[in-house]
Amino acid sequence: MAIKEDAYTRLFKIISYAVIIIASIACLLPFLLIISASLTSNESIIRDGYHFIPQQFSLEGYRTVFTFPEEVLRAYGVTIFTTVVGTTLGLFLMTMAGYVLARKDFKYRNAFSFYIYFTTLFGGGLVPWYIMLTKYLGLLDTYTVLIFPGLMTPFLIILMKNFIRSSMPEELFESAKIDGAGDFKIYYRIVLPLSTPGIATVGLFLALAYWNDWFSSSLFINDPHKYQLQYYLYNVINSMQFIAQMGAGTGVSLSNDMPTESTKMAMAIVVTGPILLLYPFIQRYFVKGLTIGAVKG
Amino acid sequence: MTFTKKRKQRMSILIAAMVIMALLAGCGGGSGNSAQKASGEDDKSQKVQLQFYMLGDAPKDLPAVEAEINKMAEKDLNATVKFNYTTWTDWDQKYKLLLSSGQPIDLIFTADWTQYQAYAKKGAFLPLDDLLPKAAPALQKFVPQDMWDGVKIGGKIYTVPGTYKEYVTNGFVWREDLREKYNLPKPTDIKSYEAYMDGIRQHEPNMKPVSLNSDIKGNLHDRYSELVTKSVGALPYGIGIKYEKPTEVYKYWGSDEQKEELNTYKRWAEKGFIPKNVLNVKDTLQDQVTSGKAASIFGDNPTRFNDMVIKLKASHPDWKLEYYPFPLTTGFATPVHPIHNGFAIPKSSPNPARALAFYEKLVTDKRYNLLTQYGIEGKNYEVKDGYYQLIGNGSTNGFSREGMNSWAWRNPEYMLFDSGFDRVKKIFAELDKIQKPDLFTGFAEDYTTYQAEKAALEQVEKQYLYPLEAGLIDNVDQGLQTFMQKANQAGLEKIQTEYTKQWEAYVKEKGIK
Repeated sequence: MAIKEDAYTRLFKIISYAVIIIASIACLLPFLLIISASLTSNESIIRDGYHFIPQQFSLEGYRTVFTFPEEVLRAYGVTIFTTVVGTTLGLFLMTMAGYVLARKDFKYRNAFSFYIYFTTLFGGGLVPWYIMLTKYLGLLDTYTVLIFPGLMTPFLIILMKNFIRSSMPEELFESAKIDGAGDFKIYYRIVLPLSTPGIATVGLFLALAYWNDWFSSSLFINDPHKYQLQYYLYNVINSMQFIAQMGAGTGVSLSNDMPTESTKMAMAIVVTGPILLLYPFIQRYFVKGLTIGAVKG
Repeated sequence: MTFTKKRKQRMSILIAAMVIMALLAGCGGGSGNSAQKASGEDDKSQKVQLQFYMLGDAPKDLPAVEAEINKMAEKDLNATVKFNYTTWTDWDQKYKLLLSSGQPIDLIFTADWTQYQAYAKKGAFLPLDDLLPKAAPALQKFVPQDMWDGVKIGGKIYTVPGTYKEYVTNGFVWREDLREKYNLPKPTDIKSYEAYMDGIRQHEPNMKPVSLNSDIKGNLHDRYSELVTKSVGALPYGIGIKYEKPTEVYKYWGSDEQKEELNTYKRWAEKGFIPKNVLNVKDTLQDQVTSGKAASIFGDNPTRFNDMVIKLKASHPDWKLEYYPFPLTTGFATPVHPIHNGFAIPKSSPNPARALAFYEKLVTDKRYNLLTQYGIEGKNYEVKDGYYQLIGNGSTNGFSREGMNSWAWRNPEYMLFDSGFDRVKKIFAELDKIQKPDLFTGFAEDYTTYQAEKAALEQVEKQYLYPLEAGLIDNVDQGLQTFMQKANQAGLEKIQTEYTKQWEAYVKEKGIK
């Protein structure tokens, strides 16, 4: 027989379940609204507004999106590519940096730490950053520009450094050295296997940053074939609204058919759909990485 | 002691770092000009690739068109060209970055709404006066002299203006079938328009009498000032200048004229023409009419009116739309100013002469022009009885009419129109009879001296004036008083004085009386 819960515990449970249920409904409703809108005819959206049950059912939105599915797929490809490559490379660089900075026998570690820390306080601003990447590095319209600027995040380097310093005692490196291991060997045989929780956390942050990135595409990419997914979506949704506002005074006539409301919604579903299906399978890793990250700070 | 020493050391590192950063930034800015070659000497034996920057989104079939153009350009000019697009998302930021970062761009779109005047004044573009006769004599001849004069900033030409004459003046758009059904008056001025809306309100209670959205200033005030106060253009900061007396600047905000305007909106709101949530409505004005939600638009331009008619023909053939241009009431129509569409050569361009020669081809050579305006004949479009005809529809065709956003290099001699465009041409012909030059658009405002006040005022305007213009404030006099008080605190006086000074100088320079 189970131990009887006291009244307070039960009350607490009731309240917390209620709060969570309400919160999750609040998260789900907007999404349901998008699904419903994507299945409604465009005219009905403008005339009747958004409804949870389509007033006038129509698949037109999806039909328009799938007239040219290769565009969406290509944007997907770009985002997956930048996320995978960026996360792998970034993790490699940041664990290296974290390890080096955590080593007490590295003479200039304070100077380097300060240098890294300094960039979080003072940045050159948008224009110098832009000039640097386009004019001096010549990265305009390349895949590199989507990956390169995000590789080393100061915050994540500091996180990694602190993680390594707090979880691995200096003596460990010393004994490994006595056993004849070089610095690089210590790094990949001892530090890397021991810092998997840290790697998971940093990797998660990094992957999310790459997946959600639209700003790099917006600034540096002219070739529509190289748009990231988020930017592709953002651009489609934005352009019509913008043109509608601007057109009145400018006499710019846009004869090309702009995406309609239902098309925009269908696009949103198509773009977010696959990652939603994927999420339940990788969710447990997310949870694990985050809790460990939270404890270790 | 050691503490302060350490701190000092740190400070010095900090300062050193800042100095280095400042130096680097300085270098970046300076080197942009070194690539400049404004002499007009062009060695055509050297092959170059021109970088062409456009606003908006690229059409799907652009690569095919680009390849065709490059085949011709390589033969004619020993040059290839790359068409780049900024997209409509954050385009103004990108535009600014493109021009300020000194990238090698050879041709870039300019217009009054992309701040041509301000950029030209700041020296972002190359003056074309000396270059034109050498690099593009045909183009120089093609564009009429008064247009060249019209685009001059500080006495120099910085852009090649588009030569197609169109009107973007506003006019009433309304549902003619409903008007006939209920025997309502034809909207020609505020009074008849109000009567029309009254009738719609009465007979079609579920319909909005007028299509409005959150851009209240653009939807109502700008239209009103075009129709009723007859100002020279959409003036900012509560400045008033009448078209008939362009040299006289007066204060519109707080005037009886403005009170009358605000009272009009108040009345409209009371009658239920302006919905309470108008500041949250995001639907476009046109969509609201074509879906049957609203019965009229308080002012749209002829081209967009025509687009709506075509759209309705397919979805609701039994509905009828009518149009009445404001100029027929005000007595004058202003065609778009030459700087409304154009192309400039940025200062950082490595090949200004070749770029201009290529642009000349785009405008004056029929092959180049048709290809870039309408795509590939037989694949993207066909010509039937002299009319333009898109093959397929907008979502299957990869290059719709003017799909490259090629408004700037339209050549009236080669232009092809949809058959529906005859309606617009008829309106234009009517407006031609009463045309007068656009006095306002050539004016280049320089707000560097009152930038802070300008930002503050914009905030005040949003907070206190928009609700007044949406008829949401019960007591108009009191509301206006509050607004004026806040606006004065934000520095209205300074802005108006400075603006007036600049306007007077402009009027004098251009000889406007």
